[in-house]
Amino acid sequence: MKRSTFFRFAAPSIFMMTVLMVIPLIMAIWLGMQFMTFANITEPQFVGLRNYIDVLSDGRFWQSFRFTALYVAVVVPSTIVIGFTVALLLDQVSQFTRGIYLSIFLLPFIIVPIVGTLMFKQLFEPSGLFTYLYQTILDTKFRYTDVSVKVLILLYGIWYVTPFALVTYFAGLQTLSQDQLEAASMDGATRWQKIRHIVIPHVQSLTILILLISIMDAYRVFDSVFVLSEMNPIYKADTVMTYTFQTAITVQRLGKANAMAILTVVGVMIVLIPNLIQSYRQQIEER
Amino acid sequence: MDKVKSPLGRSLIHGFLVLFAIYSFIPFFWTALQSFKSLKDANSRTPKFIFTPTWDNYTDLWLRAVPENGATIAYFLLMAVVVLICLLLFAQYIPIRNGVIYAFVTFGFIALLWGIPRLVETAKFYDYFINTIIVTVGTVVVSISIGCLAGYSLARYTGMAGVVVLVAALGFRALPRLAFILPYYWIGTATHLLDTHLLVILTMVAVNQPFTIWMLRSFFMEIPRELEESAMVDGANRLTAFIKVIIPIMWPGIISTALFSLLLAYNEFLLVRLLTQTNWTLPVAISRFTGGEDPRHLTLAAASAVSATIPIVLVILFFQKNLVKGLAAGAVKG
Repeated sequence: MKRSTFFRFAAPSIFMMTVLMVIPLIMAIWLGMQFMTFANITEPQFVGLRNYIDVLSDGRFWQSFRFTALYVAVVVPSTIVIGFTVALLLDQVSQFTRGIYLSIFLLPFIIVPIVGTLMFKQLFEPSGLFTYLYQTILDTKFRYTDVSVKVLILLYGIWYVTPFALVTYFAGLQTLSQDQLEAASMDGATRWQKIRHIVIPHVQSLTILILLISIMDAYRVFDSVFVLSEMNPIYKADTVMTYTFQTAITVQRLGKANAMAILTVVGVMIVLIPNLIQSYRQQIEER
Repeated sequence: MDKVKSPLGRSLIHGFLVLFAIYSFIPFFWTALQSFKSLKDANSRTPKFIFTPTWDNYTDLWLRAVPENGATIAYFLLMAVVVLICLLLFAQYIPIRNGVIYAFVTFGFIALLWGIPRLVETAKFYDYFINTIIVTVGTVVVSISIGCLAGYSLARYTGMAGVVVLVAALGFRALPRLAFILPYYWIGTATHLLDTHLLVILTMVAVNQPFTIWMLRSFFMEIPRELEESAMVDGANRLTAFIKVIIPIMWPGIISTALFSLLLAYNEFLLVRLLTQTNWTLPVAISRFTGGEDPRHLTLAAASAVSATIPIVLVILFFQKNLVKGLAAGAVKG
C-alpha cells in the first residue's frame, strides 16, 4: 500500500487520536499548573508547579498508591493461577459440557462492572447471604472495616478478571501439539511433568499477554472501588484513580487532580516504555 | 491434553467445575432473588429462599404509576419482543432478503422504544436506558466505521508511519482514563457540549479507538492480500475493493470487535459520570443506588442491577461464539 493511501484510510482515526488524545494529554499538563475549581473553570489562575508538589507531598496520595500496588500484586497473580487451573480442568470435559460451563464462567466478565460490584455487595449487606454464613460459621458479626472493605475489593477484582485469563488459556490449550504430548507419554512422563514441560512453555506468550493486560487494567481500577468503599475515607481503601476522582469532584481541586493524573501517566510511562520499545521492534521485524 | 480416565478423577474434575460455576454465578443468583422480594423479606437477617415474589421493585424502578391494564400491556410488549427476536434468529430461513428483515427488526425495536412511554408513564430509569442505547449504538457505529478503515490500512501498509501509529495507540490504551477525561471536562465546559450525547459518544470513541484498531487490524491480517489485489487488477480502486471484497468476508471479525466495543460503551462509568449531569447512562444511574439512606435502596439496587444485565446477557448469548473468538484472536481487551 502506498503511503498516501495509508494516510487517506487512517485519517479519521489519526485525527480522532490527535484531537481527543494527544491534545488533551498536553492540556492536562497545562491544566495541572492552574489553581482551578468548578467556580473559576473558565478563568483559572496560574500557579506553576505548586499542584505537582502538593500531590507528591500528600500522604493520602501515597496511601492510595500503596493500595493500588497491593491490588495489582494480589489480583494479577491470583487470576493467572486460577484461570490456568480452571482452563486445564475445562479442557478435560466433553465439548458440550464445556459450552455450558464457559457461558457461566464468562458472566462476571461481560457484566457491567458497576452492576457486578453491586451484585457482589448484595451478598455482604447486613441481610446478605455471606454475611449470614460468616456469622453462623465464625460466630462474629461481619462489619465494614478498613480491612474487610479492602479484602472485598481484592476478592471482587479476582472474581471479575479471572474469566479473561481462563478463556485466553483455554483457547491456547486447543492449539497444543498432540505429537509432542504423545511422545512425552511414550517416554512415560507423568501428567504433572507434561503440564510443567509442555503445556506451560506452550502458553508462555499468552501468560505474558495476560500479565500485561491485567496489570494495565488493575492499576486503573475504579468502578469496583467506587461502589465497595462508597468513597468513604475511613476505609482507607482509595486507589490512585478514586483519589484523583475525589480530588476533582468532592474537593473540587481540578488543577491538583490534573496534576495527579499527569504524575500517574509519568509513573505508568516509566514501566510502559520498555514494553513499547519492544513491541515497536517487533512490528519493525514483522513488516 | 489426554483425558483423565479414572471415574474418581472425572467426578473430581466435574465437582470442581461445578463449584467454580457456583462461585461465578452466586452474586447473580442472590441479587435476582433479592430483586423479587418485598422490602421486609429482603432485609431479613436470615436469608429467605422461600417467599412470595413481587414485581413491585421493577415497577417502581421503571414506572411512575402502574396502569390498570398493566398485565395486558406487559404481555403485549413481551410478545412483540419475542416475535422480533425470532425474526432475527430465523432470518436465514425466511425467503425474503436478510437485509430487509434486519431493517424491519431494527425499525420494530425503535418503534417499541418510542412507543412505550406513550403507552405507560415511565420513570426516569427508562430515560437512562434510552440514553444508554443511543450512546452505545453511536459509539459502536462510529468507532467501527473509522476503525475498519484504519485497521485495514495498518494491516496493509508496512511503512514507518504505520508502526508509529500502532505503538502510539498501544501506549494510549495503557494510560489512565482520568488523564484524558479531566481535560474533556474542560473542553466540554468551553464548548458548552457538557451533558450532551455528542460529547460522550465522541470521547468514548476516542478512548476506545486504540483497542478497536488493534483488534480489527489483527483480523484484517488474516485475510490474504491476493483477494483485493485481484479485484484491483480488474480495475477497481482500493476503496471499492475494500468495500466490495474485503468487508463482506470480514463480518465475523467486525462483529467480534463491535461486541467488545459495545461492552466497553455499555459498561463505561467514569467518563459518563464526569461528562454528564442529567443525561446519565445506566451504570451512572445505578451507582446512585449504592449505600443510599433510603431503606429501599437494597431492593431497588437489585432490580436495577438485574434490569441492566438482561439486555447485555441476551446480546452475548446471541454472539457468544464471536466473543470467545475475539478474546482468543484479538488478544486485546478494553
